[in-house]
Amino acid sequence: MATKTDPSGTMYDLSSVLDVDALESVRPGTSILISGPAMTGKQDLAYDILADGVDNGQGAVIVSTGDRAETVIEDFSGRVSGADMSLGVVDCAADQSSADSAPGDEIFVHHVSSPGDLTGIGIGITEGLEALHDRGIDEGRLALSSLSTMLTYTDRKTVFKFCHVLSSRLDAAEYLGLFTIDASAHDEQTLQVIKQAFDGLIEIRERDSVREARVRGLSGESSDWVEL
Amino acid sequence: MSDSDPPVVLIVEDEPDVAETYNLWLQDEYEVRMAENGSEALDQLDPSVDVVLLDRMMPGLSGDEVLERIRDSNSDCRVAMVTAVEPDFDILEMGFDSYLTKPIRSEELHDTVSNLLERSTYDDLLQQYYSLVEKQATLEATKSSAELAESEEYQDLTDRVEELKGDLSGTLGGVENDEDFIATLRELSNGDEN
Repeated sequence: MATKTDPSGTMYDLSSVLDVDALESVRPGTSILISGPAMTGKQDLAYDILADGVDNGQGAVIVSTGDRAETVIEDFSGRVSGADMSLGVVDCAADQSSADSAPGDEIFVHHVSSPGDLTGIGIGITEGLEALHDRGIDEGRLALSSLSTMLTYTDRKTVFKFCHVLSSRLDAAEYLGLFTIDASAHDEQTLQVIKQAFDGLIEIRERDSVREARVRGLSGESSDWVEL
Repeated sequence: MSDSDPPVVLIVEDEPDVAETYNLWLQDEYEVRMAENGSEALDQLDPSVDVVLLDRMMPGLSGDEVLERIRDSNSDCRVAMVTAVEPDFDILEMGFDSYLTKPIRSEELHDTVSNLLERSTYDDLLQQYYSLVEKQATLEATKSSAELAESEEYQDLTDRVEELKGDLSGTLGGVENDEDFIATLRELSNGDEN
């Protein structure tokens, strides 16, 4: 069982993507909620954090509820510096296709029938982690975008439980988890409940067309707003 | 299931000698019921049954059919498939919680039953955890931070949330195992009683 104080893996440094002290040394197994209004770059931030990991030899797993796998792969490949991508995609957006496919030599893709199919998502994540593990990669980052879509398929209670169970699984795997939620799409109580399933929170806001972010819950006080 | 009553295990096995062996191994720790075939198993199934050991190859109703009927019923028991050949990942997708390959050893049987009971414990804790988090969120949404700081109810809730969080991370080894992970997720979809 993973203990909070004695991580065996190295800490994750996310500060090159978002320059905040609290993100310099993030414990393996930490799950973070990225919350902000629609169209403020929550998914961009999550993908950038994953791409930064890939550039440092780590694995990436993306669970997409909106974009199809091809779109995710194209978007993501524009963010990594090398040609080598240790990526797994769990695509819950495709309509019919249910067969796993390997579009490149190294990208694992798993299709799930709908964002409400929690078992399917779990199997996809498990197989994605295993595919990375088989290539010798045991450190990595997972992004799920977005919980708001999942909340339109499944009730709040089930999404909360799903988040808790997935966070626990990532904790055991010593992966970093990033989950996005559209803060403008849900009531305050729902956001408050969902937050509780995570170790920390990155809030995003937009003022005068400037996007800013702050980090809460990872170490001591919440950080100041910094430009994204 | 109360703390004083032992958990109930239902053995569904058409070979009497094999069923009796499992019974001998389990009877000290559990209340054991036995059924010789699928329809007898369904007769014996009631809300007190916690774990079903289901032989897959039986005359009459097959193990798969019995499983389907169990899942369609209101029972939230855990079902381990007993099989002659090693199955693959599809077992979990088919709706079984676990499997055992014959011949089964005593230790293996005990491990499987206690793991399935631990998953039920995890689900119960997760449900309690959610209820408390929801209450906590309701208070946070309706009271000011000054009022929250004064509220004994809120303080008590916060303490219990932390306590349950600890209990959860100590159950199922913090969901370290893929099978536990998938089975727990599947139960979330099944147990959607809203």
